[in-house]
Amino acid sequence: MALPPRWTFLLHLLAILLLLSSTKTFGSATDTEAEEEEFHEELLLKPLPDRKVLAHFYFETGAPPSNSNGHHHHLFPKAISQLVQKFQIKEMELSFTQGRWNYERWGGFDTISSNYAKPPGVELWAVFDVPKEQVDASWKNLTHTLSGLFCASINFLESSTMYSAPDWSFRQASGSLRYGTLPREAVCTENLTPWLKLLPCRDKAGLSALLDRPSIYRSFYHSQQLHLTSKPSDLEGLNLGIVLEQTLTVVLDPSSQRTSLTHISESYLQPSWSLSSIFGRKVNGKCVLAKSSNVYLQLERGLVAELKKNENYGADYIASEGFDGETSFELSVNPDRVLKEENSRHGIGSSFLYEFSVEKYSNSKPFDLGLTWKFPVIWSCQQAPLHSSRFLMGSGNENGAIAISLKSTDLNDSSLGANGASDGCELHVNIFQVVPWYTRVYYHSLQLFVDDQPKAVGDFVEKMHVLPSKDKISPGMMEMVLKLPCGVKSAALTLEFDKGFLHIDEYPPDANQGFDIPSAAISFPDFHASMLFPRNDSLKKSPMLSKFQEKSHVLSYTEVLLVPLTTPDFSMPYNVITITCTVFALYFGSLLNVLRRRVGEEERLLKRKAAGKTGRLSELLSRLSAKLSGRSQEPAQSPSNSSSLINSKLLLKVLLVVAFAVAWQYYFI
Amino acid sequence: MAEEISESPSHPPETSATPPPAPPQQQPESEIFDPKTMRKTKPGLKRLFLTFSVLLSFLVGFPFLFKSVEIYRSPLPFGDIDNVSSDIISNPLLFPCHLQAIFLHSNPKSSINLNLEELELSIRSKITKFTSEAPPQCGACTDNFTLSLTLDDRDCSQSPSSFYKCGTIRAVDLDFSDDESVDEALKSVDLDFGGKVYSVVVVNGGDVDGVKAVVGKYRHGWIVGRDWGVGEVGERLAETFVKVFLNGGREEGLIHGEFMPVGADGRIVLSFNLLNADPSDWIYDWDFQKIDETLLTPMLEALGPIANISVESQVLYHTPKSSFSSWDEKLGSYIFSTKDLPFFVSFPQVPDYALYVPSAKECPLLLQLPNGEISKTNAFISPMWGGVMVWNPQSCSRDSDSGLPVRHLISPEDLQMVFEVFVGQFRQLFGIKSDSLYVGALGTYSLLASEKGFTEWELDVLSRQHTCFNLHSSSTTLGSLSRLVQSLPRMIITDEIGKQVKFSLEAAKLALRNASLGVYDASAVSSRQARSLAEDAFFHPSIMSVSYYSFEHCFAVYSPFFLPVSMHVLLAALREWRRYKQEKAKYLLWKAKEKVTS
Repeated sequence: MALPPRWTFLLHLLAILLLLSSTKTFGSATDTEAEEEEFHEELLLKPLPDRKVLAHFYFETGAPPSNSNGHHHHLFPKAISQLVQKFQIKEMELSFTQGRWNYERWGGFDTISSNYAKPPGVELWAVFDVPKEQVDASWKNLTHTLSGLFCASINFLESSTMYSAPDWSFRQASGSLRYGTLPREAVCTENLTPWLKLLPCRDKAGLSALLDRPSIYRSFYHSQQLHLTSKPSDLEGLNLGIVLEQTLTVVLDPSSQRTSLTHISESYLQPSWSLSSIFGRKVNGKCVLAKSSNVYLQLERGLVAELKKNENYGADYIASEGFDGETSFELSVNPDRVLKEENSRHGIGSSFLYEFSVEKYSNSKPFDLGLTWKFPVIWSCQQAPLHSSRFLMGSGNENGAIAISLKSTDLNDSSLGANGASDGCELHVNIFQVVPWYTRVYYHSLQLFVDDQPKAVGDFVEKMHVLPSKDKISPGMMEMVLKLPCGVKSAALTLEFDKGFLHIDEYPPDANQGFDIPSAAISFPDFHASMLFPRNDSLKKSPMLSKFQEKSHVLSYTEVLLVPLTTPDFSMPYNVITITCTVFALYFGSLLNVLRRRVGEEERLLKRKAAGKTGRLSELLSRLSAKLSGRSQEPAQSPSNSSSLINSKLLLKVLLVVAFAVAWQYYFI
Repeated sequence: MAEEISESPSHPPETSATPPPAPPQQQPESEIFDPKTMRKTKPGLKRLFLTFSVLLSFLVGFPFLFKSVEIYRSPLPFGDIDNVSSDIISNPLLFPCHLQAIFLHSNPKSSINLNLEELELSIRSKITKFTSEAPPQCGACTDNFTLSLTLDDRDCSQSPSSFYKCGTIRAVDLDFSDDESVDEALKSVDLDFGGKVYSVVVVNGGDVDGVKAVVGKYRHGWIVGRDWGVGEVGERLAETFVKVFLNGGREEGLIHGEFMPVGADGRIVLSFNLLNADPSDWIYDWDFQKIDETLLTPMLEALGPIANISVESQVLYHTPKSSFSSWDEKLGSYIFSTKDLPFFVSFPQVPDYALYVPSAKECPLLLQLPNGEISKTNAFISPMWGGVMVWNPQSCSRDSDSGLPVRHLISPEDLQMVFEVFVGQFRQLFGIKSDSLYVGALGTYSLLASEKGFTEWELDVLSRQHTCFNLHSSSTTLGSLSRLVQSLPRMIITDEIGKQVKFSLEAAKLALRNASLGVYDASAVSSRQARSLAEDAFFHPSIMSVSYYSFEHCFAVYSPFFLPVSMHVLLAALREWRRYKQEKAKYLLWKAKEKVTS
């Protein structure tokens, strides 16, 4: 080692630098390790005005950006992380829904109805972080992957006739958003099981153990969702932090479970329920991997106001936040905390949340929340400013019209009055509707009725984006912002359409059932569904409550429409082939026969026969032909008895045939 | 109904009560000419010609019809496929190998008294003996080797065409008690000449008793011993060359020779899973990132030419094993016998390598071999699938009865041990043993293990075998594709399939050529290409979807026209022909009669 001193100095310097850099990287490594993959599980229970109970399961798994390029996971499901990495998904939502959310009875103005009420069947939308020309390819691959992952026919969304790219009405995403629905997809356990597999505890422990399949699929409405958001942590966008939200919203009927309790006074009472009575199971402690595990019971604004009115029983209770015996209802478990909504905008009242922490409970002491009503309460849910419904008009198999009707709810008066008392106040309504190509919508026929009066479209439509359908290529899409006066009582939109003809291969199985037009999404950008709670640290720990605090547009989906199209007789092509071929064959055969006919010879033969046969036969034949041609019989010498005999025999035969036909008709058809 | 209507006209004559008229009694006008049996004119050919021309035109038209309803099939080179596959099957790949042996003496002054030619003959005969003993193995190169010997003493006598230059290695510099240093020293003089030559250094003398044989991490080994004869040295060398360098030190029948755990596209995804049987007892986690960087990455880089390997890991919870274990008093642990292994864990996803942490109820859990012993590694391998290892926490008591379990990290030392077992299992999937000793006929060889998981000579064996396996697989795939295509005449074959088949054949030919030239890496790559293209062609989506357009379908569409028409045409032709024959017979009869009368 005979190095010159300068070199050794440099080497030293290099070594020090290396050391420094290594400690630095080490430090950053520990920093990222501090941010671990997290899992939260929460359940929200809410009594609904129509004697039902809403259960909203919320699971959130978060993977922070790591330098392992998404290959190594501790809690986060590998399949989802690979999906995000592969298709560069910025945001995605997949929902499987059975049943229709009843906006009138179950509410239309809260976070649950705006975010977790979904159209029936499958709805998928995704925002990709790829160049615009690759978005379609990514979407197609994504549909196939999800189809395999969730055992559903999501792959049908691959075809360009099934998805659309809304620009602004559904969600702000310039060009990289794709949206598709399958209204007729049947949802069942085979979709739930892979969804549960994404949870670290699956359905073995924690709140997810409540998910008893028979009670869920017996429910009035259930919607199972998967929401993905990814955020690139560095500039290259390689290391993604992913948040996976899995929610299951179920509307259950607690009274159907119990049969014996039919007291006369109780028929007015709301049904009492407990976790074990609606799910048939109890919670045996939390999922040990979960960072937080809470159950919330929500009493909504209308209910709280009603309780307050009720002879001050509820008011005392709520004001003191204690537990008197004289309350309208009783909880079987004492809540750990009561959260009161901070209500700044609505003057109606504020909702209450009772928080129960599952951490204290275990196998020996299971958690079973029960709610028993003591006095009958009647209340109603908060409604969206306009109640929307959609229906078909017209009859026949040729054309028809789609109508979207918006009717004002009572909320309109009070809240809008507060919003702006002046006459210039406006109510904005976003409408997003996708129509399959075989219903050819004529967008020029758009008619608008405000308060049952036909109005010029231009006066009320602020912004409109129409993408007409292309036959067998893309569906028609309509995005529209309506600007209605605040005092509007009702508004209606109609669009005429022609029904298209499909190629024989394009009909789905059971085509006679009709074709679905997916739900339209109607949102109200002026209104935000959010609940505000007093700020403290414990709220930050609960991702569901922080989700509830986020402002989101009030959104509702309309009904799915069923359009009957002309369906052909599917054996028709073959029948056509057969009949054409038979005609051709007849023609050809007779042509051939004519060609090889020997007229002279046949005549000679006939003559010879006529000469030989002088008997009765020819006479009879000629008589018969004469009878058929309608001429009177010339040779009247022959005895009439034979002809009558023949006639009676013929008649008998004809009768026999008729009897046979009648019998056939009677017995076999 | 149709029958009844057609019947009715024929009824009246039958039902009439009058007896049928007597047959006409016709008297022949002349005795010779009977108009029933004879005719005077020649029967006409007009109608016969007409009907037959119609029939003929139909027959001629049929091929055109078939041509018009024919579906497009890209022409596949069936002949080429057969040629290549018969080529691969009939003459096994001949990889050229270069072997060299260098004889040194610990004392550089003294000379080695060995007869080179005699020795070479002896080695060659031994090598052929070993080769003939073992069944022919694909990817071996014992049929096509060159052997060069060097006596590196004062005289430096060499066999022709040897790579080695005398005096490069000096026995004095090597310390034979430290194998690693010898290995590195030999590596530093570049004995393998760019990865082409396998060499064994035979040192006479040295301070070891008996014979010590070592095979290093690269492409060389050495044998140190004293005073041996030509026969013994020859046998030793032949054994090292054949059994170790060329066959990879494996025994036959360990794992099927042609099996390679590589996917059709030449990719392997190694998925490592940590299974916590019951997280309410304890939760173990691992720092996989570090293991990946330190242990796995060098190995995967070394395996690069054979397969493109990626690694991923996950931790799963609530994965209890699905079969019971029994408590053993003597061992103080739970025993799981190997016969229950198929029911070990039912995984939600199929993993490749699983580290199973048992729950407190069954801790510690040991695996029992069929002979009653306890498995040393506590792991088992499942061929073509991966391996499972059971890892017991140090103290089998729960963290605390009341509180929630804490997340433990498996210590790096433990993890190191676990991954050594996994690497061993991975090697076993490739058919390479992980023992540090190879027991030959004449003694044992100690094998140095590489920190990369695979030594260079092992990688050579793998890449030779891999090439061979890929070529076999691509030829069988193409062969079955060609059989399938030929057996289903109504299957559409798109141009893309044709192209894939063509490229696959080209890649296979290239791999064959490269293999015969001894370019292992290039031939491995092109063989991989050949295989993946062949598989792509075979599993092309268009094959499956269209094979249902069958001949029956075609028949159903065309038969309503052709069946009735063909009946008309055939009957007409038949009748005319019969009539013509009859009339001709009449004419001939008359002619004959006329002759007789005249």
